[in-house]
Amino acid sequence: MRKMVRLVSTLVVITSAAWLTACSNKPVTKQEPAAMAAPSDPKIVAAGKAIATGRSQGNCLACHMIEDGESPGNIGPPLIAMKARFPDKAKLRAQIWDATAANPESAMVPFGRFKVLTDDEIDKVVEYIWTL
Amino acid sequence: MKKLLISLAVLLVTAVSAQAGPEEDRMAFIKYYKGKFPNVPMEEYANGAYAIDPVGRENWEAIEEFPPYEPFIDRGQVMWEKPFANGKGYKDCFPDGPAIAHNYPRWDREQGLVMTLPLALNQCRKANSEKPLKYKKGPINDILSYIAFQSRGKVVNVEVPKDDPRAMAAYEDGKKFYFTRRGQLNFSCATCHVQNTGLKVRTEILSPSVGHITHWPVYRSKVDWGTVGTLHRRFTGCNKNIRAKPMKAQGPEYRNLEYFLSYLSNGLELNGPGARK
Amino acid sequence: MSLLDKYRIRQAENLEKTMNRVQRWAAVAIVLGLMAGSTALLAGEMKADAATASEAITRAEAAQKKADSVNGEWRDTGKFIKNAKKAVEEGDYAKAIRLANKAESEGNLGYQQAVSQSKLEIPSYLKAMY
Ligand code: HEC
Ligand code: HEC
Repeated sequence: MRKMVRLVSTLVVITSAAWLTACSNKPVTKQEPAAMAAPSDPKIVAAGKAIATGRSQGNCLACHMIEDGESPGNIGPPLIAMKARFPDKAKLRAQIWDATAANPESAMVPFGRFKVLTDDEIDKVVEYIWTL
Repeated sequence: MKKLLISLAVLLVTAVSAQAGPEEDRMAFIKYYKGKFPNVPMEEYANGAYAIDPVGRENWEAIEEFPPYEPFIDRGQVMWEKPFANGKGYKDCFPDGPAIAHNYPRWDREQGLVMTLPLALNQCRKANSEKPLKYKKGPINDILSYIAFQSRGKVVNVEVPKDDPRAMAAYEDGKKFYFTRRGQLNFSCATCHVQNTGLKVRTEILSPSVGHITHWPVYRSKVDWGTVGTLHRRFTGCNKNIRAKPMKAQGPEYRNLEYFLSYLSNGLELNGPGARK
Repeated sequence: MSLLDKYRIRQAENLEKTMNRVQRWAAVAIVLGLMAGSTALLAGEMKADAATASEAITRAEAAQKKADSVNGEWRDTGKFIKNAKKAVEEGDYAKAIRLANKAESEGNLGYQQAVSQSKLEIPSYLKAMY
């Protein structure tokens, strides 16, 4: 019981801290909030899928094959077995946030660093990609 | 000590390749593309993506049987022959014409800039008190189509004169532009047309940059074209797609870019006007 | 189990409950505090009046100019500024500020992007061919 309470209060503090940083509108490079998340919420996954496969937002299909997504490009590798490729969700998020950090010559769009997607949108995309 | 020597050597090599001359650049590009497409003969590069995309090529060959740019050539011929209000005409500005496309772009010593064919045409008009033509859409494409058609078979032979450092500076400026990532999507021309040549963005196969300038102006069937457009209109499109603000058509940036890009196609035959997706 | 033992256990349980309660209240207090703080921050930052909007637009235009000076401007920065000005005319200052801030951030990023590449570097895939 005590442990539960402690966990809950820690979570509450963390979420409110996250809320605070989100509100203060400073460019934060938060890399690991997803690590705390509960098992993928289907609503979040669906939202992530819409962002990833839509043409105007993520447009990941321009370069990656993703499930049965229509007319995929092949500049990047097919996005499959993502949990095995990225046991650490934070690494997956980092790849999407700014692929050029790990590989300066990467052709992949730095979605987070250049604000093509918001942090919240990236979190959702990560949840979706991790299900692949 | 050994480490130091090695790093010195690395530095030297880096310095050398960063300052490689135009011919070294061209050879490096060709070597790179040959590695990627060992079976594509050199002269095929003038056909852009259709040199490496057999499906697209079939459609293209069908289109070329009834060339969509033909009416533009015809209108261009009328323009070429029709005198200006002052009685003079293009023929007076370009006595060697109309097969002159292979003389451009070239270094213009007097003006100290890269002279392109569209700029030369407008300077001719201005000298004869005619309104300049717009550089991306419209009638400039008619006269360019006619000149391109008349210049078919001429060989690209861009020179960067060694005795005028400004020419080399212009070439270097174009090269720098080519390799600089821009726009919110963070691409350089090289990202698409070198690093990922032959791969697909969605359904579009990316063409090599060698051969990029042999066939302008180009008729594009794409909905927002549906007509013949200039090379600088294409530059504009490629810049907008990566969410970069395009430069001014025929401004110094794009003319220098054209200078660099054209040098890469030295030795190829002109085959404009072209038709593309 | 002796009576005394039972008593001790109950005491311990009570203490635990009290502690839990204390923890819970502490957590609630922290959350409320943070929310209050951030709301104040939010309000401070989003103060949506004409003066704030016009300042934001001025900053955005400066950032755009800086990016343009190194040929690093992005495609939509100008559009955001134009729409921010339109929003001011329509009295929608919150929208104007949001757009202007976006444009300012684009201007700064575009500038950084360009200056970080001020030296020409041939990428490794091509460099290997020289
Ligand atoms: C312009 C092309 C491009 C786009 C658009 C793109 N990527 Fe990538 N992506 C790449 C390339 C190239 C790689 C190979 C690794 C590298 O260079 O960073 C890659 C690698 C990845 C990887 C690592 C795959 C692995 O197995 O190692 C993931 C995950 C990924 N991308 C996710 C995404 C997501 C999600 C999106 C959309 C929000 C996206 N990418 C959009 C080009 C792209
Ligand atoms: C996001 C990828 C991308 C980038 C970056 C890009 N292009 Fe393109 N470009 C394309 C695509 C797609 C096409 C159409 C298919 C093809 O021919 O490659 C194209 C076509 C062209 C063509 C016409 C080719 C022909 O055969 O008619 C030229 C010329 C060209 N690009 C030049 C450039 C230049 C110069 C730059 C840098 C300013 C650039 N591109 C940047 C994707 C890109």
